[in-house]
Amino acid sequence: MTLQFGPILEQWPYLLGGAWLSLQIAVLAFACGMLIGLLCASILQYGPSSMRRIVGAYVTFATNTPQLVQIFFLFYGLPEVGVTLSPFTAVLMGATFNAGAYLCEIQRSGFASVKHAELESAAVLGFSRMQIIRHVTFPHVMKVMFPPLSNQFIVMTLGTSMASIFGVEELTGRIDNLGAETYLSVEAFLVAAVLYIAITLLATWLLTLYGRSVCRARMDIL
Amino acid sequence: MRVGRSVPPLKQLKVRPIIAGRLLLIACALLGSCDVSARTLDDIIASKTLVFGINPNLPPLGLYDEKNTIDGFDVAIARKLAAALGVSLEIVPVTPSDRIPFLMADKVDVVSGGMTRNPDRLKVIDFTDPVNTEVLGVLTTEDKPYKDWHQLNDRTVRLVQVRGTTPVRLIRDKLPNAQLLLLDNYPDAVRSIAQGRADALIDVLDFVLKFTQNYPTKWRVVAAPIEVGYDCLGIKKGNTALTQRMNKEIRILHSSGFVSESWRSWFGHPMLYDPTAPSP
Repeated sequence: MTLQFGPILEQWPYLLGGAWLSLQIAVLAFACGMLIGLLCASILQYGPSSMRRIVGAYVTFATNTPQLVQIFFLFYGLPEVGVTLSPFTAVLMGATFNAGAYLCEIQRSGFASVKHAELESAAVLGFSRMQIIRHVTFPHVMKVMFPPLSNQFIVMTLGTSMASIFGVEELTGRIDNLGAETYLSVEAFLVAAVLYIAITLLATWLLTLYGRSVCRARMDIL
Repeated sequence: MRVGRSVPPLKQLKVRPIIAGRLLLIACALLGSCDVSARTLDDIIASKTLVFGINPNLPPLGLYDEKNTIDGFDVAIARKLAAALGVSLEIVPVTPSDRIPFLMADKVDVVSGGMTRNPDRLKVIDFTDPVNTEVLGVLTTEDKPYKDWHQLNDRTVRLVQVRGTTPVRLIRDKLPNAQLLLLDNYPDAVRSIAQGRADALIDVLDFVLKFTQNYPTKWRVVAAPIEVGYDCLGIKKGNTALTQRMNKEIRILHSSGFVSESWRSWFGHPMLYDPTAPSP
């Protein structure tokens, strides 16, 4: 069998549109998940025990059920109680819900890595609470957290491929459509693989540059 | 004076063949797996097994029974064909979007599952003579006003379809103004209408109506049909001996009345249009 990429590559604006939508879902879910994760990590680290138990239950539930099942519940389960979300909203909420739990764990481990002696030393040197956060806690936490955060972002970007199951026409959905229309499924998914590699390599490169320069994380540039 | 080639560093000498070898392996894995020829009729008879692709999510053509094995109208036909060849039947579950790739990758010898014969598919695979017909129509709910499928060409109309099926192209060509939601299977597509996420679905209603029984929604079928399609068996292009033998057996199944009886048994009503008659 001869591979024919022409009919697939002719549709490059359509595919790039799908890749852009995939990236949008990943970035929005990551940003919202970071906020949820920060709130939950703060509660786990500093909150009262009752709140810690609630957050612990959320993290356990979200990290031990597939993201697909979570989105399925939002997309098909909520309409049964009168709440109908658009495909994009349901996927974004599901991805955020899932990411929030993982990002909570990453941020909690970052907070836990700050040694008590460092904070005491800063206090002895006369740093205010805000100065301690700004000059001691934040740089230390970011340095520790940045590599796993980058990994989580890549995982989330690749995970957006399940959005097509719920009618979101992101990259995988559009590749599936092209494969069905042209009957060149092998070629279509090879093109998808190359596009996903391009997206993740670009994201990795940008994240590494940011991590090395801003967070002083020890990361190799590719 | 002859100038000798400079000797590459030791590291390059070792690494380059390894990288080249790995790339070759990857290329072989990607290309080599596709480059295999289909099993001929003789191969199938010699192996004593006919590998048949059937969509188990298209009841009553294909479905999972209470023992979780695949059954249905297509399976009844497949059993008869395998028996006619004197071989055993192996069923491989397929979906609308992967049934042709399965055939082209030689994971199945023959594929069914609502394989409507059309010019685009004929470019890549061969078809047998028709086994049954499909009458394409519109499924909607009683509160929607549509009396003809052309009325669906409106920006306010939300259609839901299954990815990879024939009506998707029809909608893109004839109903470009309608909104289109693509889902992966029929139960989800019907559920989305029941939940108010979509207004209508265009498909072969004989196959879709079963899913409507799960919901209290007041369903309605738009009276005017869109077209009649002919479902055949898909066979890899050029596997002529197998196609001809299948045609012979299908003719026998029609003339003996097995196809119509089996259809009535699985669908609960006669086939809407005779597959051996000329197209309307």
